[in-house]
Amino acid sequence: MASLIRSWIPLLILQSFLVAIAFGSKEAEEFSEALLLKPLPDRKVLAHFHFENRAPPSNSHGRHHHLFPKAISQLVQKFRVKEMELSFTQGRWNHEHWGGFDPLSSMNAKPVGVELWAVFDVPQSQVDTSWKNLTHALSGLFCASINFLESSTSYAAPTWGFGTNSDKLRYGSLPREAVCTENLTPWLKLLPCRDKDGISALMNRPSVYRGFYHSQRLHLSTVESGQEGLGSGIVLEQTLTVVLQPETTSVETNMQPSWSLSSLFGRKVVGSCVLAKSSNVYLQLEGRLGHESKNVDTEIEAHKLWKNADFDLSLKPDRVLRESSSLLFIFDIDKSSDSEPFDLGLTWKLPSKWSCQQAPLQATRFLMGSGNERGAIAILLKATESQEKLPGRVVTDGRCTIKANIFQIFPWYVKVYYHTLQIFVDQQQKTDCEVLKKINVSPSTDKVSSGMLEMMLELPCEVKSAAISIEYDKGFLHIDEYPPDANQGFDIPSALISFPSHHASLDFQEELSKSPLLSSFKEKSLVRSYTEVLLVPLTTPDFSMPYNVITITCTIFALYFGSLLNVLRRRIGEEERFLKSQAGKKTFGLKQLLSRLTAKIRGRPIEPPSSDSPAAQSSFLSSKLIFKIILVAGAAAAWQYFSTDN
Amino acid sequence: MEETSDRLNPTTDTSGVTPEFDPKTMRSTKPGLKRLFITTSVLFSFLLGVPFLWKSVEIYRSPLPFHDIDSLSDQIESTPLRFPCNLHAVFVGFESKDPDNLRSQIQDGINQLTHQSSQCGSCNVSISVTVQNLAEQCLETLAHNPSTCSYRCGVIIRNEFGVGLDDTVDESLNDVFSGCSENSGKTYSVVVVNKENANGEDEVIKAVVGKRRHAWVVGSGLEERYGDIVARVSEIFVKVFMNGGRDEESIHGEFMPVGSDGKIVLSFSLLNSNPRDWVYDWDFQRIDDALLAPVTKALAPIANISVESQVLYHTPKSSFSSWDEKLQSYIFRTSDLPFFVNSNEWHLDTSAGASGRSKILQFVVYIPSGKECPLLLQLPNGEISKTNGFISPMWGGVIVWNPESCDKDSESPIRNTISPQDLEQIVEIFLGQFRQLFGFKSEAIYTSGLGTYKILPSERGFTEWELDVLSRKHTCFNLHSCSTTLGSLSRLVRSLPRMIIKDEIGEQVKYSLKAAKLAQSNASLGGYSSSASSSREARSLAENAFFHPSIMSVSYFSYEHCFAVYSPFFLPVVGHIVLAAFREWKRYRQEKAKYLTWLTRKKTA
Repeated sequence: MASLIRSWIPLLILQSFLVAIAFGSKEAEEFSEALLLKPLPDRKVLAHFHFENRAPPSNSHGRHHHLFPKAISQLVQKFRVKEMELSFTQGRWNHEHWGGFDPLSSMNAKPVGVELWAVFDVPQSQVDTSWKNLTHALSGLFCASINFLESSTSYAAPTWGFGTNSDKLRYGSLPREAVCTENLTPWLKLLPCRDKDGISALMNRPSVYRGFYHSQRLHLSTVESGQEGLGSGIVLEQTLTVVLQPETTSVETNMQPSWSLSSLFGRKVVGSCVLAKSSNVYLQLEGRLGHESKNVDTEIEAHKLWKNADFDLSLKPDRVLRESSSLLFIFDIDKSSDSEPFDLGLTWKLPSKWSCQQAPLQATRFLMGSGNERGAIAILLKATESQEKLPGRVVTDGRCTIKANIFQIFPWYVKVYYHTLQIFVDQQQKTDCEVLKKINVSPSTDKVSSGMLEMMLELPCEVKSAAISIEYDKGFLHIDEYPPDANQGFDIPSALISFPSHHASLDFQEELSKSPLLSSFKEKSLVRSYTEVLLVPLTTPDFSMPYNVITITCTIFALYFGSLLNVLRRRIGEEERFLKSQAGKKTFGLKQLLSRLTAKIRGRPIEPPSSDSPAAQSSFLSSKLIFKIILVAGAAAAWQYFSTDN
Repeated sequence: MEETSDRLNPTTDTSGVTPEFDPKTMRSTKPGLKRLFITTSVLFSFLLGVPFLWKSVEIYRSPLPFHDIDSLSDQIESTPLRFPCNLHAVFVGFESKDPDNLRSQIQDGINQLTHQSSQCGSCNVSISVTVQNLAEQCLETLAHNPSTCSYRCGVIIRNEFGVGLDDTVDESLNDVFSGCSENSGKTYSVVVVNKENANGEDEVIKAVVGKRRHAWVVGSGLEERYGDIVARVSEIFVKVFMNGGRDEESIHGEFMPVGSDGKIVLSFSLLNSNPRDWVYDWDFQRIDDALLAPVTKALAPIANISVESQVLYHTPKSSFSSWDEKLQSYIFRTSDLPFFVNSNEWHLDTSAGASGRSKILQFVVYIPSGKECPLLLQLPNGEISKTNGFISPMWGGVIVWNPESCDKDSESPIRNTISPQDLEQIVEIFLGQFRQLFGFKSEAIYTSGLGTYKILPSERGFTEWELDVLSRKHTCFNLHSCSTTLGSLSRLVRSLPRMIIKDEIGEQVKYSLKAAKLAQSNASLGGYSSSASSSREARSLAENAFFHPSIMSVSYFSYEHCFAVYSPFFLPVVGHIVLAAFREWKRYRQEKAKYLTWLTRKKTA
């Protein structure tokens, strides 16, 4: 138990403080929080939580921290991680309605399950070891089975198809991973205020997990200090994106539902996290600008922006920013308190309709063929409506083209025949050299590594649809390699379609404050979209079969062996004579049976009646019976002994 | 398959030779052996196959040296490890004392003090005594081994000794005894100076234990009560130098907060229980460099210590405190301490750097929220704790630090930094707690039945003789833990006969035993650091063997599995064969008897 102490040491060298070495630069660790709300065209609301934690360059990373999570910093130090992204996602991003050409969707639309990629700062030969150790550490940190990415059959090393060009990059995903609160809680632990205070207090678990889509993401990158002898800084970005359906009472179907923070989350914000440098709530309205004036100079006009004929905001925004097609209302939640909680609400007055900007091509992926032997995978790219308006077309040799990168990992038990790759553009088959600019294939090795396909397509601008198909054989797994519930099928991870010549960014011309959320929007991000996860049914054996086979074959062998032995020692002549004599004494049959019965009741050996031989035979018979009983009892006793022993 | 020889042939045989021939009891031909031979050969081939089958289902078990393990644990139980220590007592200013006599008296005193507790990590004492008389002539009695320090006669001048600061006296004694050879255990010296009674009044005896391995007793008129002095010398040696001045009933010496890989992670956390009231930060980097680095350096022979720190927020304690009107503060009692640490909200254990088997010691500085400020710890006797902190053995310590003023002046919380002076105080308390976790007291005065001793503290947290005690205890603890781990491994292995034991485990056990033997022999030779390092190795190897992942595969090779696979074939087949062989043998005997009766009948006829 605890005991108490008295201090004793008469202290201690004050001058040693003077000698204390310089404490790096005096820059401190910084934390900021933000929430972006955005009504979606299909009557849903997107909420995007954004937390950023910056640790300045220092030599004491992994040892002394004030705001930055020590665990993450130690991870970076130990595994020499240069950049890493981990996402947990449930649900599928609806590219058609929720947008595909803005920074939000290109960064936060993630494949189902867990996706992890990391770039290491170690020699090429140690990258795989670092990756394996990292997966184990993350798996412990986030209570998830990320450690399954350790095996070389589940990750790949993309060269250029992923977007980040580095030979020290590793990528892996687990489509089957179920994401729930046990993953969110350790993620929240990394925030200085956790979900006790500030914007993160909104994360009411039932309402977050009731949504249509949620994706929690952790992105960290190291920033080189550039100074000699000084370590590098770390930027940790944590985001949670949820798409919620506000409860609506309105009967009108074309009317957008009105909502407030408390109706969406069941909670209100009662103040900012005191440790945050900035904590803001943003409301982004898209497609609102056609009929409004471009400059917001006067107070009345600004007022008009948030209380007008279309909609009403329950709180006055602190500032309003505008971009080419959207309005951004900024609210500072520092002023809210326990008595006056921040509860932003949006009330629609008139039916309103808008659409989101979409990626140039919309990708879907499906399986073809039937049976448990072979099949084909097809990726279909369809042109979207907004394709013509988008920038980023490349005109080469007088032709206007769209570039699309396809990055796909195949597990080894899906044995892809790369020569069967076929590309159709507008239903017409094209030879490879016409549209395929670049291809990188690394075939899979059975039970050792997964296959990887990277393709760069250059499609004409006026393309309506493009399809890629590739055939495969289904492999057989060893009985140990089947996962539990193998009959459900095996998942092929999502393919990543990215458009290298298209970059999404939102620039609100904001110079006043350096909001991390807005500056991350401002950065040009690669437009990318993930396809569906495919479920491939493989032949699954009956797992109790080995025992059945053993039992049946053994029984047949035993039967054969026993009858062979019996045949070998048969005496046919003697048996015939015995049968003949038996036939002669048929009248004594009943008597003999009786005498045997009485002998058995008395428990004595049969007294020799008129004839000797049947008596001798019967006594032999009874001893045989006793022997059999003893044998069975012995076997039972032995069984009992061994089974209780273990 | 007709066999004529077996056939009883009543028609042909009864006609001629003898009229008494009875086909039921006799036969005229020799019974055949073919069927008996076939069945027995099949049976024997099966019996011969049994060892092969047994061999094929056998699992691999690396042979473990069970006998050596048992003898190691027996040895550690029965004969506790003892290190050689040398005591050099110098008596200055004693006129008529025979050193041999003094030596035997000191030896008696030491035996008296240690006879009941011959615990692990104690000393094998060899004593040497020097008496320097008033004329500065010396009489010496050396210990059995000659490598002890030689004291140059007359270096200590009777009336000039002990003047000035205790620290300088300690340094001067270090110069006096600097020629000590260290190859056979550490040498501790006690200097007794009998001063001239200048003032005529009875001067108080002053006893001081230094930072290194020296102690001195200064007084006047010591010659008259020299029995008391001798008792004190032996007490200084046994209670302080040998046992580290700790009470027997305090934390048991077997516990050492050192991980099995010889590492300790000191994780410091500053907990702001409610950052809405106030936020405090600290500059721990400086504390680490200036104050903790000497301590970790001093403890380097015992453990490899690394230091981490973090600041956490929104971390309320989980026990309640009550307002005390008299003290104008909130009070929590010692009975509430088990509930103070809030493992739900204090996520302290996020150290990925300390993976493996390092020991993490948590040191928590708790800043109470505005609702419970100031927060004071009340001792069971009603007093308020001076340190406002407590320790939990093998876990760490908690210090409650109250901000200077508990009033919230402004609405928005201000971000403060704990001042260097306050931080120094916190580190002082921490060092005391850290010493307590190792079982040392934190008082500058050691009191015993014979009087009080002043103990000079070291700025490194641990004095040299304390480090000696620690390394003795550490070796002991490691060996003890190694033997218990190996003992439980051998018990486990013996209780599960179907467990696979890989060669690796066998090798680790072998090397662990080897290292333990080496540690024991080094300890008896007095090599403190070498025995500590090999005992550490022994312990970590033993733990590696015990926690080897392959031990988990026991369930896959159970007897049930064997039965399920082999019984469907072997049970019916063996039944057939045994029965057939038995029957054939029985029939052969029967027929042979028949033939013999016929033969005798024929002979008699």
